[in-house]
Amino acid sequence: MVWETLWNQIVDLTLFAVLLRVMTPILLSALGGLISEIGGTINIGLEGLMLLAAFSSIAAGSAAGSWVVAVLTGVAVAMLVSAVMGFFSLKMNVDIIIAGFAVNLFGSGFTIFLMSKIYGLTGNYSPADAPRIPTVRIPLVEDVPVLGQLLSGHNLMVWIALLSVWFCIVLIYKTPYGVHLRAVGQAPQAAQSLGISVVRIKFTALLWSGAFAGLAGSFLSNGLTNMFVKDMTGGTGFLALAVVLLGNRNPVGVLIGSVVFGLASAIATIVQTIPGSPIPSQFIQLIPYVVTILALVFFALRQKRLAALKP
Amino acid sequence: MNASRSLTLELGGILVTVAAALLCGSVVIMLTSSEPLVAIRAMFVDPLTSAFNIGTILNKAVPLILTGLALAVVFQTGVFSMGAEGQLYVGAFVGALVGVYGASLPPLLHFPLILLAAMAGAALYGAIPGILKAYLNADEVVTTLMLNFVAILTTSYLVNNPFKAEGVGGFARMEYIDKDVLLPKIIPGTNAHAGIFISLAAILVVYLLLYKTSIGYEIRLVGKNPQFAKYGGINTRKVVVLSVMISAALAGCAGIVETLGIQQTFKDNFSTGLGFDGIIIALLGRNHPAGVLAAALFYAYIQVGAQTMQFNSDMPREVAVIIQVLLVLFVTAQAIFAYLHQRMARRKAVM
Repeated sequence: MVWETLWNQIVDLTLFAVLLRVMTPILLSALGGLISEIGGTINIGLEGLMLLAAFSSIAAGSAAGSWVVAVLTGVAVAMLVSAVMGFFSLKMNVDIIIAGFAVNLFGSGFTIFLMSKIYGLTGNYSPADAPRIPTVRIPLVEDVPVLGQLLSGHNLMVWIALLSVWFCIVLIYKTPYGVHLRAVGQAPQAAQSLGISVVRIKFTALLWSGAFAGLAGSFLSNGLTNMFVKDMTGGTGFLALAVVLLGNRNPVGVLIGSVVFGLASAIATIVQTIPGSPIPSQFIQLIPYVVTILALVFFALRQKRLAALKP
Repeated sequence: MNASRSLTLELGGILVTVAAALLCGSVVIMLTSSEPLVAIRAMFVDPLTSAFNIGTILNKAVPLILTGLALAVVFQTGVFSMGAEGQLYVGAFVGALVGVYGASLPPLLHFPLILLAAMAGAALYGAIPGILKAYLNADEVVTTLMLNFVAILTTSYLVNNPFKAEGVGGFARMEYIDKDVLLPKIIPGTNAHAGIFISLAAILVVYLLLYKTSIGYEIRLVGKNPQFAKYGGINTRKVVVLSVMISAALAGCAGIVETLGIQQTFKDNFSTGLGFDGIIIALLGRNHPAGVLAAALFYAYIQVGAQTMQFNSDMPREVAVIIQVLLVLFVTAQAIFAYLHQRMARRKAVM
């Protein structure tokens, strides 16, 4: 029964559509994590940044009645908080992991605080007039069977996420900024001695991180759903970190990793809704985390072997 | 600068940053509450005005002391474990299993067995990131974060399926543990339970371990200067694995003490981030057992204050989170402390 339902959803391409939707926040936040990771700073604050963006975007968006305002606000807020994070880690010498941890704490608590103070609500905020990031319908193509389902009817943010992969490839590998970024990540001392401002590069990398987390967060509350629920990220920011490592720290790898994790997530969602399922949903939710640990072991073993081969 | 002056400076710096964080919290209350004085009073005074509230502070401090110690141990080794939350679940689960299914044992044997099982189970779970870090150089931040999810989801599955108590609805739990091995209330008129004695004992044990034994010396040396420790003939890998296991055992202890003192059995998703709070406690307490005690009591006071404020005024308790975040950032801002040291040195030079 479960297999049958799953199989049907694969054949009629609903699973594909669900996958695209579910993987979008993972992909966007992972790209954010990727840029700071390449610059040599691990950003574990993605979770908190996404929550702040998700809340501020739906709040501003429904007040203004515009999804553009929603997304821009989400991105701006996440970038602002990243800037504060950068100030504390780069200027006040707070360990970047602690700064990220603090951002997560802040994101979870402060959104609940604001929801209570502004709307007097405790669990979730779902305005009736919430704007929604539009769905892209491609005329003519949408009427073609299969092709229509593959290409048309996806949320705009899905396309933005996919284009962001290309954008990151250009940014990291084809621009002077990318060269500096990679230099700072690999050999900060050498970069410094060549006159590259390590602090400035790391700071801008955190801002990029915030921008992508902001897009991801806005999509959570204005596209994937139409509300803000407390702690609605549910670990997506941590999955994103895992995707960065699993994707071997490059944009295409991150895309593949997001597909794998998105698929696990999508299947878990489908299985959960089927009554009497023989596969516990917890186990499917577990897959990404276990895969990440195994991947880390694999990379480490490979590196060890390579190191042993060197004379 | 001599050691005691340096300590005074450090303590003074921490007190100033704590005061700054509290002040910022108060400003937020002033700006957003329609009855700011009522709210501030409810937050900072009410927790201390009744025996019942003080009992609640003690109860909140019990697991916080243990997770704070857990993180102090790994942080001293220079390992950035974020895994206390998952280890706490493993400890609580394994301990509760022994608690529920060992009910026929005499309580005097049963109780220590529960604690031991919880700590051993968590320690074994902690060995995973420890070994991955020590032998494969796998980043412990990521592995422990992932293992948290693994522990929480696995115990959630188990308590929702094979080990679920009969007739329980939405919130899955095991059968209740026998009253004989639950931690008794110690102060009449309050809910304070005997777990505080376990926590205080743990402080003493960890202090002795870190500062009076050779393994403690090795742990601190590896944290301060791993290269030097290695050349000095210390097996740094072994020390890393051991410290992560000790840390996990303490986190597991926190889980089972919370279970025996408050929850009365293993409940799905019972921890509200106690393992993550431990990170804050360890940072505030500068990774020293005595500091952890002070930090845990203070943190518990803030949490209870947030509750009394939510109850008695128009402010939500999440205001406390703002204070916590600022505490973390201020106390770990090395620039602030370096600045203080510098000024102190300069003043001394002038004199």
